[in-house]
Amino acid sequence: MKRQLLIATFALAGVLHGSDDDTAFFEAKVLPLLQKSCFECHSHDKKIKGGLALDSRSGWEQGGDNGPAVQPGDLEKSLLIKAVRYADADFAMPPKSKLTADEIAILEQWVKQGAPDPRVAAGGVKKRTIDIEEGRKFWAFQPVGNPTVPTVKDKAWPVDAVDRFVLAKLEEASLKPVVDADRFVWLRRVSLDLTGLPPKPDEIRAFVKDNAPDACEKVVDRLLGSRAFGERWARHWQDLTGYSDMMGTSNGVFAEHAWRYRDYLINAFNSDKPFDEFVREQIAGDLMPAKSVKDRAENITATGFLMVGDVEIVNPDKGKMEADHIDSQISKLGTVFMGMTMGCVRCHDHKFDPIGVEDYYGIAGMLRSSPSTHKIPFGVWSRLNTTDLPETPEELAIRQMQEAEHAEKIVRLKADQTRLTAEKNTLTAEITRIEKLEKAAPTDTAIGSAPIVPATAGEAKGPQSAKPADAKQDPGSDKEAITKKRDELTEKLKKLAAEIQHAEFFSSKVPKAFAMRDGEKPQDMPVYIRGNPYALGPIVPRGMVRVASWTAFPQIPEAQSGRLQLADWLADKRNPLTARVAVNRIWQKLFGEGLVRSVDYFGVRGELPSHPELLDHLASRFMQAGWSQKKLIRSLVLSRVYRMSTANDSLALKADPDNRLLWRMNRQRLDAEIIRDAMLAVSEELKTDSGGPALVMENPDNTGSLVAKGVNPPNYRHSVPRPSQEFERTVYLPVMRGGFAGPDRVRSFFDFVDPAQIAGQRPQTVVPTQALFLLNNDLLRKRAGALAKNITEKMSERDARLDDLWLRVLGRPITTEEHGDATRFLEKIEPLLKGKPTAERLAWVELCHSLLASNQFIYRI
Amino acid sequence: MKAMLPLNRRQWLQRTACGFGALALSDILQAATNPLAAQIPGMIPKAKRVIFLFMAGGPSQMDLFDPKPFITSKHGQTIDSPLRPELTQVGTDKYLALGAMAPVRPRGQSGMMISDLMPHLSSVADDICLLRGMNADNPQHAGATLQFHTGTFAEVRPSMGAWVSYGLGTENRDLPSFVSIQPGGVREYGSAFLPAIHQGTALRVPLNDKTSPIENLQNVSPSEEVQRERIELIQKMNRRLVGDLHGEASMEGMIQNLELAFRMQTTTPGIVDISKETEATRKLYGVDGKDTDKNGRACLLARKLSEAGVRFVQVTMGGWDHHGDVRGNLPKLCAQTDQPVAALLKDLKSRGLLEDTLVLWSGEFGRTPWSQDLSGTAPIEKHGREHQPESFCSWMAGGGIKGGMTFGETDDMGYRVVSGKVHIHDLHATMLHQLGVDHTKLTRRHLGRDFRLTDVYGEVVKEIIA
Repeated sequence: MKRQLLIATFALAGVLHGSDDDTAFFEAKVLPLLQKSCFECHSHDKKIKGGLALDSRSGWEQGGDNGPAVQPGDLEKSLLIKAVRYADADFAMPPKSKLTADEIAILEQWVKQGAPDPRVAAGGVKKRTIDIEEGRKFWAFQPVGNPTVPTVKDKAWPVDAVDRFVLAKLEEASLKPVVDADRFVWLRRVSLDLTGLPPKPDEIRAFVKDNAPDACEKVVDRLLGSRAFGERWARHWQDLTGYSDMMGTSNGVFAEHAWRYRDYLINAFNSDKPFDEFVREQIAGDLMPAKSVKDRAENITATGFLMVGDVEIVNPDKGKMEADHIDSQISKLGTVFMGMTMGCVRCHDHKFDPIGVEDYYGIAGMLRSSPSTHKIPFGVWSRLNTTDLPETPEELAIRQMQEAEHAEKIVRLKADQTRLTAEKNTLTAEITRIEKLEKAAPTDTAIGSAPIVPATAGEAKGPQSAKPADAKQDPGSDKEAITKKRDELTEKLKKLAAEIQHAEFFSSKVPKAFAMRDGEKPQDMPVYIRGNPYALGPIVPRGMVRVASWTAFPQIPEAQSGRLQLADWLADKRNPLTARVAVNRIWQKLFGEGLVRSVDYFGVRGELPSHPELLDHLASRFMQAGWSQKKLIRSLVLSRVYRMSTANDSLALKADPDNRLLWRMNRQRLDAEIIRDAMLAVSEELKTDSGGPALVMENPDNTGSLVAKGVNPPNYRHSVPRPSQEFERTVYLPVMRGGFAGPDRVRSFFDFVDPAQIAGQRPQTVVPTQALFLLNNDLLRKRAGALAKNITEKMSERDARLDDLWLRVLGRPITTEEHGDATRFLEKIEPLLKGKPTAERLAWVELCHSLLASNQFIYRI
Repeated sequence: MKAMLPLNRRQWLQRTACGFGALALSDILQAATNPLAAQIPGMIPKAKRVIFLFMAGGPSQMDLFDPKPFITSKHGQTIDSPLRPELTQVGTDKYLALGAMAPVRPRGQSGMMISDLMPHLSSVADDICLLRGMNADNPQHAGATLQFHTGTFAEVRPSMGAWVSYGLGTENRDLPSFVSIQPGGVREYGSAFLPAIHQGTALRVPLNDKTSPIENLQNVSPSEEVQRERIELIQKMNRRLVGDLHGEASMEGMIQNLELAFRMQTTTPGIVDISKETEATRKLYGVDGKDTDKNGRACLLARKLSEAGVRFVQVTMGGWDHHGDVRGNLPKLCAQTDQPVAALLKDLKSRGLLEDTLVLWSGEFGRTPWSQDLSGTAPIEKHGREHQPESFCSWMAGGGIKGGMTFGETDDMGYRVVSGKVHIHDLHATMLHQLGVDHTKLTRRHLGRDFRLTDVYGEVVKEIIA
């Protein structure tokens, strides 16, 4: 029955779409072919690639991303035919191999017949839609509340509201906080956390003796007021930006202005720039009013946030390059400020979170209206936008002086070039002259060997012929000397030419920054279907992620990109994500784990906050206190929670092995930079610095060809570091994509964030190559050498030396057991080193090296 | 090959453990907590290890493996450009056909086409499977190299060696499971969001018999005895701290690693020391040869590490980026690499290792059939070729891959694949398949999503499996 009915339908379809024979042809020839060659990727049972399903008539009628797949009767307009003919390399199907000629003919015949196809879709293409209202119920999109501070049983323990939130949860679980850390441990901890440097022996002695009630406050204020604070916290922020002193990854193209953004960050943290302001400036600083010239320069530089990541400026497909760059900017905005993964929304609605393609292209429109790269006229490369920075009159005066000096230098170099070229020409002429004489000389031998010449004639010629022979002798040795001199000059001139090229390339000292600016024609953009810039969908109005919005996105004024409105939206107190994500990041840096442990992802598949009320308390307190990061950090490090030791409590460990409830402080290994900086600090070799260019561009040996119109842009190799760079804080050293060589090699071993990555929390790995590094790397050996020299020269008594060493390196007094260990070590080592002129010093080097390589040093407890 | 029954993990480890890498029973029992223990249940593996020979820069497939009579017949003349108009190329605006520079002839029993520039590889043609329909997505070195190594060029993702280490663990606990010899950027051997233990260890090529390929392996103390004392002191302090804290996994890890590092100083030099190899072996690889010394040492080192149980060994041999004078430059690169690469295959075979070692040879992309001249004035014989990800050639050998097979075909121009297309994702899927791993099941959760080496793509190329 059913079968007959179906046949009847076929017959009817046949009327509309072709004869019964045609339908039979479809069933016999076309369908098996589609099943064999296309269904793997284009059917509801398998995959629906490119949005195209071929398992029903409506499937090809609607078509995929590129529109209907078949125009019945029209071969040339049928994309299916175009694809199987392999006419266009980028639109060739099936992708693995071309169909046979017979198979293609079957499809062509079918289309010519009007594409009879009796199949009815089983369910049709189901489009998943996201439910914004439902999505808003998720905790992260709820407005930030200001929960009541809970009451606790133990009234004596808390010193701050933070402590009561934590203690309440502990009491609920019948757990107790462990004992406080001692003063030595607390001081080392807070110094490393706030500045990345260990406390100095004087500071330790002063603090442990300070009985004043505000002893801790004084320490914290000193640390927050030091330049080192900004150096430490700017680096945390750099981890969120993909910061590098290179443009992209290819060819070592230098990003010679990137350091200005790094210095901007250091200053922003040190001046405690309110976080909402900090957010605004980094997204739209160029569009904001400024109070002064300096302010204006800062605002422009701040937008480096969106520029310093890994941009593939060499992509020859500029449409794709722009789309890729916008994608990385959106991912950055999403991760850093919202704790949302946005990258996947480029191609489809988010699979887990209520973020849709419209949200993505709403933001993309703003960024596309602010193009941040431009193609150079020649070749395939693009470059990042640079903007000239305004200067104060003083800065301008200094710059003009430098430029004048520089111009003088070029004049000097060119004068040298002229002089040496003239000298070289003289020598060359001289060599030519000698060579001519040489050429003339062989006639001699010709005469000598010519038997037909009468002897008398030979005699007559004798004195004359002797002359050229002499000339051949003397100029010969002359020629060698002159040629040598000429060759030296050639070398000199070559070097000089490179120096002149280098000097001219860097003649302008106008301060510049990699910065955003609005384009000429800001406008909404279309959806790029599946992320493809050549498959355009509907136009999407510019706007922000709807699920996190409290009101409609404001109207974007004509001729503006919308970045300013985006910045305001993110920095608004009503934004449910910005403050929560920010305070959680700060919490993680101080306590080791975030209250939401997935610090970069607050979405549905992320972790729930361990203390949701505390998170909201901190977020609202942060905003109420004018978004001051320093104030927040200050109150956190002065809290009782921060004061806890990392001691064990077997009961608590069993109940809460991950320490989610914070019954103790988490232990942390020092970051790569801090391992190095702390070693330089304890060996008293650390140089203070006030920022400036990281790349050693002034050394021509570091820059490759500087031809302005070369096929590839000029490049940089960090082959000759500045001598001072061995002793500068790591934050000031160049960040190269592709790895580190030289004084900052440590970053390759201890979990430095790849400068193409955005990571709010670094992994903490323990691998054997780290142990080899600690045992044998020059960094430790040299610091141990300096430390040993320092200590042995300053003090002669072994006990005094040991006391000083422990206080200096580990921030605490040596214990009796350690004293015994160290003494025995020295006594055992010294005989082994007998015969070496500096045996005593060497023994101390070994001891210092041991201390620097120990977990006691590379961890903060 | 005799039929293999599925092995359980313990049997598998016992069987695969070889020589230096043999695992003690206690180690196997510990495997559950060892981060280098396998993460996924295996299928039956055909290959136990991989050696990846990476030809950085993009070798010219047309000159080496895929000659085109059409292009040769049009040598020096303008041909139709198949490029999409959005794509910019420099120095190729005339689209001059550039014929193969040297004869490419049938080799071995199979008649596989290989250039006269590669006489040594030609002699082992029947051991390799030539893939002529390779396909990638990015036309520039950095992106293409990242895609080849990590499957993507947009984000920081684990490299294939890291995935293999993560999926299969190690055979030798005294050695890293993934080693990369003279690698390029860190992302080519990085572990990204996989545990760092799976990150590749970068080795230098020891250019003489005295230097160590491993960084920081040289003891800096005046004697081993002194260093041992130093380590004792460090460990005493470390243990005291851990004791005071009643345990801390990462600190205990460092204690173990210091011991391992000390052991490595004594055991590893033996494994990486190629000076102890026979003269015949050194000669085979071209060690001390004028052109072949560096790559010969690298390939020999790769064999030694592979034999010692390193799961994934990569050797990078750069210099193939011939934008100009491909006729002058290609012979040089072949002279530097042909003998060492063929020697590796011969050596593995003679040691019975080729059967279960998958060797992969590839650049990040190929080169155009039309010429490139950046100067704008050079004669056609001095022209080079531009990058081409649309089609290129790679080859695989051993590890259950058919020998003497040529798979895949390009169009008359040598631009587009017309059959046997193998995308990089497919290559990755096939590699994992040979190692007994289903590429769709080897995943790692990161930021809420399960990531794979093959992302959402990849199909095993069944046709080339023996």
